[in-house]
Amino acid sequence: MEYNGGSVIAMVGKDCVAIASDLRFGNQALGIASNFQRIFPVTDRTYVGLAGLGTDVTTLRERFRYRVNMYTIKEERDIEPQTFAHLVSSTLYEHRFGPYFVEPVIAGLENTSSGSKPFIAAADLIGCLNFAKDFVVAGTASSKLYGLAEGLWEPDLGPEDLFETISQTLLNGVDRDAFSGWGAVVHVITKDRVVTRTLKGRMD
Amino acid sequence: MNSLIQRFAGSSSGIELQKRNATVVDDDGELSDVMWGSMAGFGSLAKGVPTFTVPSVPDPAAFLRLHTDDHADPSCRIKIQHGTTTLAFRYQGGVIVAVDSRATAGNYIASGTVKKVIEINPYLLGTMAGGAADCQFWETYLGMHCRLHELRNHERISVSAASKYLSNLVYSYKGMGLSMGTMICGWDKTGPAIFYVDSDGTRLRGDLFSVGSGSTFAYGVLDQGYRWDLTDEEAQELGRRSIYAAGHRDAFSGNSCNLYHVKERGWEFIGNYDINKLHYDGPGNGQGYGYEVRVEGKTSAVAA
Amino acid sequence: MSSFNPYTQNGGTILAIAGADFSVVAGDTRQSEGYNIQTRYAPKVFRLTDRAVLAVNGFAADGNMFVKKVKQRLEWYRHAHAKDMPLRSIARLIQTMLYSRRFFPYYVYNILGGIEEDGSGAVYSFDPVGSYERETCRAAGPAQSLLQPFLDNQIYFKNQQPAPGMSHPTHLPLQAVLALVIDSFTSATERHIEVGDGLEMYIILGKGRGLQGLEGVKGVQELTISEDGERIFVVRRELKKD
Repeated sequence: MEYNGGSVIAMVGKDCVAIASDLRFGNQALGIASNFQRIFPVTDRTYVGLAGLGTDVTTLRERFRYRVNMYTIKEERDIEPQTFAHLVSSTLYEHRFGPYFVEPVIAGLENTSSGSKPFIAAADLIGCLNFAKDFVVAGTASSKLYGLAEGLWEPDLGPEDLFETISQTLLNGVDRDAFSGWGAVVHVITKDRVVTRTLKGRMD
Repeated sequence: MNSLIQRFAGSSSGIELQKRNATVVDDDGELSDVMWGSMAGFGSLAKGVPTFTVPSVPDPAAFLRLHTDDHADPSCRIKIQHGTTTLAFRYQGGVIVAVDSRATAGNYIASGTVKKVIEINPYLLGTMAGGAADCQFWETYLGMHCRLHELRNHERISVSAASKYLSNLVYSYKGMGLSMGTMICGWDKTGPAIFYVDSDGTRLRGDLFSVGSGSTFAYGVLDQGYRWDLTDEEAQELGRRSIYAAGHRDAFSGNSCNLYHVKERGWEFIGNYDINKLHYDGPGNGQGYGYEVRVEGKTSAVAA
Repeated sequence: MSSFNPYTQNGGTILAIAGADFSVVAGDTRQSEGYNIQTRYAPKVFRLTDRAVLAVNGFAADGNMFVKKVKQRLEWYRHAHAKDMPLRSIARLIQTMLYSRRFFPYYVYNILGGIEEDGSGAVYSFDPVGSYERETCRAAGPAQSLLQPFLDNQIYFKNQQPAPGMSHPTHLPLQAVLALVIDSFTSATERHIEVGDGLEMYIILGKGRGLQGLEGVKGVQELTISEDGERIFVVRRELKKD
């Protein structure tokens, strides 16, 4: 899991969610790329971030894309984030005894009768889901992100404040991790739009 | 039979240490009168040589390796902080010593403000790579002995003698688990001098050295930019740029670069440069060192 | 060889922050081994002199013995020199004491906090075999990776741009520092199983500094006797016990 490095975090705000990751891709101590994408859109309002082994990140991204497309064709509607989370879980459990070395993080807005409800979830490498109400973290910097998020997060943050909070959490967390960093990307999902920002981080 | 084996077999340095210990500790296990009066405060140095407590196991070195060596076993409990990219080169204007400032314990960055250049005395510098405690302790001890040399011989110690003292000292602990890769740099009667000394007992004089996990990256920049007749500014820039390269690419190096210049009259601290600032803004009035900063706006795509 | 394993991990976390003319050294009071809590109150922070406080974390037996030995050496120094050892000398002493066990290390992470001879607050942090550095703030223990980045952000203002024309303060006032320490420990207690039960904070104030910053803090207990010279206060708080 520490071979390529990388970390992902997702946080819940007031009628919005944010998901962010660093951009480093390395071979243990050697940093190779500073533009490695590990967060992918699933639908307009759901994003998935995959922390862990780089090849499994790429492969799973394609497997999820296939399964979500099949779902969309059969159901004739977009997949909801909670359903997608269960899809992730069952896909990973299929490889229970030879797993993909990734820790997925799912963030999105649910379509409920009372409007859009923020949703985040995380899973371990064999699919155990964690439906948190505040934030989820994954990757080599997870313990650092836990400490920061616990200190900085508060409920009902608006989209701009949520962006600031998740950015500070991610940047300071990866600055204390040797295998994460080299830049960061943040997606803030609200009911009308998704704002994606690339952050200038420490390049060492 | 067993006592014969104990005395003559097994790791010799471990046995040495246990014997040395016996001279300081009395039969009844108490520390002798060296602890009182004017000798108070000298502790384990009271008998002149540092004495070390060694576990009473058949192979003390294997015991230490089992509990502290994270190359062999990354889940070992006692995580000793390791130092990482250091370099020194000599040229017509003296010696440039440049180091990074990151210490990692596993993949956790324990500190970004470690001082990896140890100021032995106003004209000798030592660098730190490997085990931080080993370098700090033994180079401070070396400073003590350099001063004693000055007092006894009414003359400054040469870099060659200082480095030989250190190298012989760590050689007596060879196999016990010390980890140290240091460069002793100074300017003496023979001119500027650099000696690489490590805990295996190697001692090499040379013009250019880089030590640590990021040394390969630093060598890349250093080798292509090095000449004997560099000017002072060019030499400082070369040192800085090499540490930046290592700090950028190596996960275990980074945070900031400390730059020193050893001249005939002694060493001078040039400055502390944040590696992130070097990436985006460069050393001051220059361009940023980072790749995407330098190629921004330029493209190699063929116009349609 | 594998049968001689004298070390174990007793959990807990310690933290120290240096201000302009004060220092705060804090530690939780839980002692655990694996999934068991051995005791809910085992102090990890100890007063050495009127201006130095040592916090120890790692293997509790080594920690307690090491503090005892340091106190003994400081007592001998007092008898030989008729004064207390200055803080930076205590730091160097701790290095040589730890390094004398280089081949059979004390499994202790030490943080020394207090007031230097020039009146400034200082924190020295050590690794188990004696390498040390003077810093402004440091967390150590199993939850250090949770606390240290939060402190980087809140004390050093890392990754934060100052408002245009202004710059970040180099030192924070005592009230802000105490609030940060309490928040750090409640966060660590939430997310780390070995941290909790209680928090003990030692506050060392420089000579002649007065008590500003401590008004309104509940349960302050003074350890020093006279009002001139450096003063040490202890504040205790409860942490979650689960």
